[in-house]
Amino acid sequence: MEYWKDESEPIKAFLELFRRAQEDPELAQGLRKVNQLIWFDYTEDGPNCSFYVDARKDPIVVAPGKPSENPDLIMSLSADDAHRSWSNKLNPVMAITRRKIRVKGSATGLLKLAPKLKKVAAIYNEVLKDMGWEDKILK
Amino acid sequence: MWGNTGRFIDVDLTARMVDIFSPPVSYYRKYIGGSGLAARLFWDRGSFSADPLSPEALLIFALGPFAGLRLSGASRGCVAGCSPLTGHWGDSSCGGYFAPELRYAGYDGIMIRGKSEKPVVLAINDDAVQLVDAAEHWGKTILLTTSDLRKQFGTDVRTLAIGPAGENLVKYACILNEGHHAFGRAGFGAVMGSKNLKAIVVKGTKKELNLKDPDAFNALRRELNKKIKEALASNVLHENGTAANLEGGVHTGDVPIRNFQSNFWEEMAEALTGSTLTEKYLVHHGQCAFCGVACKRVVEVKEGAFAVPKGPGPEYETIVAFGALLGSMDLAATCKAGRVCNELGLDTITAGATIAWAMESFEKGALTLEDTGGIALQWGDVQTVIEDVLPAIAYRKGPLGKLLSQGSVSASRSIGKGSERFIVHSKGLEAPMHDPRGGGHGLALAYAISHRGACHVAYPMLFMEMGACYYPEIGFEYELEPMSDEYKAETACIASALGSIENSACYCQFADREISIPEWVALFNTVAGYDWDIDEMMKAGRRVFYLHRLLNYRYGLTAKDDSLSERLLQPAVDGAPEGIEINFQGMKDKFYDLMGLDPVKGVPSKQALLDHDMSEEYAALESMFKS
Repeated sequence: MEYWKDESEPIKAFLELFRRAQEDPELAQGLRKVNQLIWFDYTEDGPNCSFYVDARKDPIVVAPGKPSENPDLIMSLSADDAHRSWSNKLNPVMAITRRKIRVKGSATGLLKLAPKLKKVAAIYNEVLKDMGWEDKILK
Repeated sequence: MWGNTGRFIDVDLTARMVDIFSPPVSYYRKYIGGSGLAARLFWDRGSFSADPLSPEALLIFALGPFAGLRLSGASRGCVAGCSPLTGHWGDSSCGGYFAPELRYAGYDGIMIRGKSEKPVVLAINDDAVQLVDAAEHWGKTILLTTSDLRKQFGTDVRTLAIGPAGENLVKYACILNEGHHAFGRAGFGAVMGSKNLKAIVVKGTKKELNLKDPDAFNALRRELNKKIKEALASNVLHENGTAANLEGGVHTGDVPIRNFQSNFWEEMAEALTGSTLTEKYLVHHGQCAFCGVACKRVVEVKEGAFAVPKGPGPEYETIVAFGALLGSMDLAATCKAGRVCNELGLDTITAGATIAWAMESFEKGALTLEDTGGIALQWGDVQTVIEDVLPAIAYRKGPLGKLLSQGSVSASRSIGKGSERFIVHSKGLEAPMHDPRGGGHGLALAYAISHRGACHVAYPMLFMEMGACYYPEIGFEYELEPMSDEYKAETACIASALGSIENSACYCQFADREISIPEWVALFNTVAGYDWDIDEMMKAGRRVFYLHRLLNYRYGLTAKDDSLSERLLQPAVDGAPEGIEINFQGMKDKFYDLMGLDPVKGVPSKQALLDHDMSEEYAALESMFKS
């Protein structure tokens, strides 16, 4: 991995990102509209390198690992590309076309989130800074 | 011959004669089929001085080599000729069910000349081709005509029909298959109307097609159908139709608002997007023949001012053309407007764009109540559009109907008063519902160089800029930034060839995003026996692109016509593209240089033509220069 020391680091950052995103009314509303159980699968970088978001629940549940239920959508990619993606430095359409992101299931909900990626990136950068990982912030 | 049948129906409506014509076999491999083959047949047989609505005008329906195959995306056909809207070469593509049926009847296309004394239907039943009186259908809407044709000729026939707009020679009248699938752009419904040809019905029974390598094709077909159906884009299109990403498009500035005056309207995004259409009005999914994607919408609006019974629903283009472009976020109104356009036989893009131009002209005083016959044109008032404006256009009634039936470019010339500044087009064809200032600067170049005018499907530039294409075998590995000119000329070189291949193969531009370049070559070789490698296939694509340019040159178009309206070249005033200027001239100059195009005449150089085995075309061009 180019950006992470071990498989636990990215999950810490991403869980905190989603926790803070829910504090933003616009993003919280956007997440609720997704209304899906999504598994973000980065296990190519380690068996525990994944987390899930259950946007069907109110409040939304965000937790490490694989969900016990079958997800509506699985997004599989590397933890480095996930870092680029949450930093809004990875064109998701291009990444899917070039198989950097593999998607299984319905992506309808995600399309609703795509326009908010810029805002997500701003929060993500704050998360990295607050976790002492300023060096990971992509310019 | 493989894939293709080598047979065209040749109809002279004036003489009421029907014949069978076989194009030279070499034309198929050279010009692929569809758009390319029609262009070459017109080059040989068309009159460049004939008014497009005169009996002398030649109208050509042409299939690609894949029509009739049980392959997702392969069911499209092409219609081509001189566009009454633009006055130069144009073509239009349509999915649905007509193309496979025509192939099963044993044909690669239909050429139509002359003018029937009375309204007729061209009825094709395998080898039996006849002209049948259509007096009872004339004056009826397309949906009613389609239903009546089935009663008359059998429920298993496939139909192409025009509506009142085509009969009344509205310059952007469309032709519909099964009352749903449209040959929308460039006004070929009016050409049918000018010939008193109300409809074409076809029934074919020869479903065993002669393929070069059936086993290899079938293996490839199974693989491609699976790949296309399982692709993420297909899943999204199936669930929410072609408007699935409208919301995303609003945020990138791709969706035009109030006649391209604004690029951002957040509230509208969710109101009009595909998932909202699915939730509120979708009854079931529709599809073209053999397509596993099934992106079509069948909708019903049960109540309210815009109630519509179960039937064809709006595509992305219709939703934006009668929604955001007119300052409305009423999704039911777009369903109704789309249905009314289908009944009357109007291209929804030019209709919406022309009305948007009229609304802005009215707002800014270039159009008055006197000009409109007392109809006030207000942003967001789609009810007036549906009840008063669209019928007035289709029947060319009243001053407003007569004015708008010409399309926005001619209409602005008629009234002047600065209204020319409000038209958004290239080469006389109104821009579709993607604003290149937000959608991608390469799209601006693609609009300008497209032979038929501003068109988002002539070449796959939109998909290439958004990142949905990756073709390392032909050098397309760029990671493009939509709002930049970097690598856009280079991309346009690839896109113009690829788009020419796709439209000549008559393939759906959604389904074919999943087909790799080597798979394209394999398709052509296993089906039609073209015996290509990648270079030869791309060369055929460029050849078709060059031929389209030569046709337009014969219509008097030159390099200066590869242009865009003033509005699209001004920086956007809001949204993601706010303040960003398009380096249009820079991209165009580079594209011309890379493609070997003459900077004044706009035609390919002698070397470019000879390199693409176009010595016959060059000889004709040279004699034009001498004269």
